[in-house]
Amino acid sequence: MLQAGRDLQLLMETLGLRALSILDTTRRLAAFTLITMGVLATRAGTAHRVIHPLVRNQLVQAGILLLPIVALVGMALGFAIVGQTLSILTQVGQTSLIGSLFVTVIFRELAPLGAALVVLARVGTPTVVELGTSRALGEVEALEALGIDPVHYLVVPRVVGITLAVVLLTVYIQLFAALSGWVFCFAANLPVGAGDYLGRIAGALHWFDFPALVLKTLAFGACGSMIACYQGLSRPLRLEEVPGATTRTVAHSVVAFLLLDALFLVITLLLPG
Amino acid sequence: MKVIPVIQLDGVGIRRSDRNVPLIEDVHWTVMACDWWELTGAHGAGKSALLLALAGLVPTTGGTLTAFGEPVILGAPKPSGWIPRMGLVFEGGGRLLRDLRVAENIALPLGYHHNCSLPEAVDRVWPWLEALDLERLADAPAGRVGRVWAQRIALARALSLGPEILLLDNPTAGMDPAHSTWWQGFLVQLHKGHPLLQGRPMTLIETTDAPRAGMQPPPRQAHLENGRLLLLQPRTEPA
Repeated sequence: MLQAGRDLQLLMETLGLRALSILDTTRRLAAFTLITMGVLATRAGTAHRVIHPLVRNQLVQAGILLLPIVALVGMALGFAIVGQTLSILTQVGQTSLIGSLFVTVIFRELAPLGAALVVLARVGTPTVVELGTSRALGEVEALEALGIDPVHYLVVPRVVGITLAVVLLTVYIQLFAALSGWVFCFAANLPVGAGDYLGRIAGALHWFDFPALVLKTLAFGACGSMIACYQGLSRPLRLEEVPGATTRTVAHSVVAFLLLDALFLVITLLLPG
Repeated sequence: MKVIPVIQLDGVGIRRSDRNVPLIEDVHWTVMACDWWELTGAHGAGKSALLLALAGLVPTTGGTLTAFGEPVILGAPKPSGWIPRMGLVFEGGGRLLRDLRVAENIALPLGYHHNCSLPEAVDRVWPWLEALDLERLADAPAGRVGRVWAQRIALARALSLGPEILLLDNPTAGMDPAHSTWWQGFLVQLHKGHPLLQGRPMTLIETTDAPRAGMQPPPRQAHLENGRLLLLQPRTEPA
């Protein structure tokens, strides 16, 4: 009995410490985000001929170079979800539901999440390594000594570039999913014409889907990039600590994406219509 | 007219970053324009920490630290258009930005503070590359340059904004005699007034393991020992 009580106490202490640690990380991340937003707002025009090429470079890294893999993800979603579901709907004579299904599953949920996860895997984790190594090798202090704001030079271009890339890649996933879904219908000889197929998708879209999509993808991109930059820069790292920071970035980002997704789902359900 | 010291420390202390115990205490030190100071001390005495504190990169405890009459505060926000008047060369390879090329490293501060693109800034700092014999390394990735040359690139980067004070953290540590001699000659030029700085004499503060010999006049010496800064009398070199 006494042992069980001690075990329970130990469990509660462990859970309590874990909860405090999560709260502390959240507080620090929020402070880092506020600082970055402050720099973004106050230094918008500062050194733009140095900073804008860095943003463009991030857009290339997180956007254009990821187009092939994003196309693959979009096509896989199209084949797996639209194509197969349409095949089933045809059997039960409910092909009219394909528009609602596409908008609900792919347009609102899987495309933003897929784009965010691809960017996290291909750009977010290298960002932690780059920034963590920069910090470990003292390059951040070197920037400070030169009067260059490290947040402005290292964080802002990454956050802006990655955030915009997630928005654009989401649109690409949606387009490729729609296209591959129709290709599946065509190849499987399902009785759904291209005009009918696109018309049903367009008919299922509500006006709030567009601002909600932009806000959601902006939130995913900003959240993932901010977590990556925070893990890389927030505290002095030793080189051997960089892999651990990378792992934390993936775990924290995935949790953040799911929480944001849940938040947007609730908002969508609360909206009329 | 009262002459304002370029750097003044009154009762300043520095704590060890790892153990939060005092590293240096009660430093009183005045650096005037065109001085050349050598800061000596045993390994771990706090030479680098004191130098970084002068640059505002390490927090101080107690007392006041001013540069050009203004307090030096770690992490203090800088007003728009602010350009550092102090250059710093870090120890052990100068902490170059590895993802930039050599010329871009040198040009970055100029490009950032004067809002010009890196290619334009490279054109403007090219005279410094020539003066420091770095032209052949201009396009090399900074991460692949040897430590001795990286140190020289860091010097060029620190000079690119035309600072009034140059802080050097053990710049010639581990260098062969040829490179050490080059550094000594170049620092003498800077101190007297380099043509690329319009002949304006520069204030130098350098940490070193071994004071330079054979210089006339010799640099002034400050020595760190047991957490205290001792300002030594100017030494006289044999004629």
